Amino acid sequence: MGVAEIGGILLIFMMLLLCGGVWIAMTLAITGWIGMVFFTAQPPAIWGKNLFYSMWESSASWELAALPLFIWMGEILFRTRLSEQMFSGLAPWLNRVPGRMMHTTILGCGIFGSVSGSSAATCATIAKVALPELKRRGYDEKLAIGSLATAGTLGILIPPSITMVVYAVAADASIIRIFLAGFLPGLLLMFLFSGYIAWWSIRNPDKVPTSGIDMTFRQKIYESRHLIPCTLLIVFIVAVLIAGWATATECAAYGVLGSLVIAWQSKMLSWQSFRDSLMSATRVSCMIMFILAGAAFLKLTMAFTGIPRELAEWVNAMNLHPYTLIAVLAVFYIILGTALDGISMIVLTAAVVLPMIQKAGFDLIWFGIFVILLVEIAEVTPPVGFNLFVLQNMTGKDSNVIARAAIPFFVMLVVCILLITVFPQIVTIVPDWIMGVQK
Amino acid sequence: MRKWVHRCIDFFGYVSAAFVFGIFVVMLGAALLRTFQVPVGGSDDIVSWMTAAAAFFGLAHTFHHGDFVRMSLVIEKFEPVARRWVELAALTVGVLFTAYLTYSVAAYVYDSYVFGDVADGLIPLKKWIPQSSIVIGSLLLFIALLDEWINVAKGNRPDYVLAVEERHAKGDFSEDM
Repeated sequence: MGVAEIGGILLIFMMLLLCGGVWIAMTLAITGWIGMVFFTAQPPAIWGKNLFYSMWESSASWELAALPLFIWMGEILFRTRLSEQMFSGLAPWLNRVPGRMMHTTILGCGIFGSVSGSSAATCATIAKVALPELKRRGYDEKLAIGSLATAGTLGILIPPSITMVVYAVAADASIIRIFLAGFLPGLLLMFLFSGYIAWWSIRNPDKVPTSGIDMTFRQKIYESRHLIPCTLLIVFIVAVLIAGWATATECAAYGVLGSLVIAWQSKMLSWQSFRDSLMSATRVSCMIMFILAGAAFLKLTMAFTGIPRELAEWVNAMNLHPYTLIAVLAVFYIILGTALDGISMIVLTAAVVLPMIQKAGFDLIWFGIFVILLVEIAEVTPPVGFNLFVLQNMTGKDSNVIARAAIPFFVMLVVCILLITVFPQIVTIVPDWIMGVQK
Repeated sequence: MRKWVHRCIDFFGYVSAAFVFGIFVVMLGAALLRTFQVPVGGSDDIVSWMTAAAAFFGLAHTFHHGDFVRMSLVIEKFEPVARRWVELAALTVGVLFTAYLTYSVAAYVYDSYVFGDVADGLIPLKKWIPQSSIVIGSLLLFIALLDEWINVAKGNRPDYVLAVEERHAKGDFSEDM
């Protein structure tokens, strides 16, 4: 049997398990086991040994220790009053910008995204405060919902990001490198989102309420005082990453310490919130690490069957224009994203797609940012988009209504993807500048 | 009986959380000691073992809490009766897989216990000690799946579905990635 047939059979088998509701981590490992047993020359005596070693080596990893810590950091801040403080602290500064307080959605998500690595949590945290406030002041609800749904996804693009840690582990890339690569695209995306809000507000002046805020510079600073600790924490983490003082895992430990101090200082740290944040972070980490362990076994099987290598050579032999390949992959990920969550999507495809990408001459770090932007799109596309569910739950509106409100911002995401494809330097310039060009 | 199983699963969830906290403490401690020029060579090994322990001990608790992701798009379309059979089929696959997993990892960790393998790193610990986390974790996950299989076979809706519904009804999305 040829490699193509084996690949096809495994793919169909995996789809069956997925559609039947078998948990992702187990689906990956079972598909790996089927592949190993039926399509490789591995003797039966070492099937179990391969399973054990790939799962153990994937989990007993010093690099992976950054994952639970970064998740915990976000969980701690999620349980503080940071989002309320963010709204009142940001609002006075936006008075002269077209669209005024509407920009708090973008900036709030951007800032919260720098301390949290989850898109749904970012969206929920900011929306919880911004939505009622904006509505009360008479801002356009549809624009607010669309902007919150999409800007919430900044959580996974702006470092630290859980999705980036998962990608780095799946691609054997440097966590710090991909974090650094996320900064400029994150800022670019915030600029594009805010740009759309400003443009919309200039065209619909009657739908933007007047400000009613008149403050001196000192008053503004006073209003924003609560944001200072969080800003310092972000600046500290960014500085540590850029200066190379600490590894990603140490950086995550400092982040947890900083968040605990912020929560304690704002009197939001109780035994209850401490325990809840830690348990929540533990569960999310367990879930992700189990997926990575299952994927490690599938990856091993894949290497034995030779499917990724053959596929990479086959795609290479087609001599596609790089843009064509990227366009095909973008469509593939968007389709996948309608049914799967971002992390499963990345882990599921890493073993097969990454060798192909490398063979075609793409930078793995650049591809990571590209995939993360596609995951962001997936979060706001029905039928399965977590940010849609979050806002559906908060507003009581149908998820399709929310998805329609998000369309203009969705277009901005596509524009961002086009920009980083045509100008890949947007992604690579920061890591290359700080860590040197990768060989 | 079920109550006892759940208590046991949750207890190991707390053990897993204690290891996450442990990673935090060891990382900070190592960074601090290093600034005072104290050599802390073995901390990397300890952190890796703790990461594995955090990953495996908490599996059953995470599953029972409804945090294991899966593709729900198709199965949510089914009518309640058909849905129950699909859940049961998925749980059967899960039970069989975790039984095999537990058997495999137990066999290899037992071998490493018999041969007395010692870790290669800076800390000469017997390998089976940290590796026992994968055995216990897989066994607990197997028990949790079996418990849920019996629960669904009796005609109840699975706990992991109820837990998620309850959380989302409260507007808590902190555990959705």
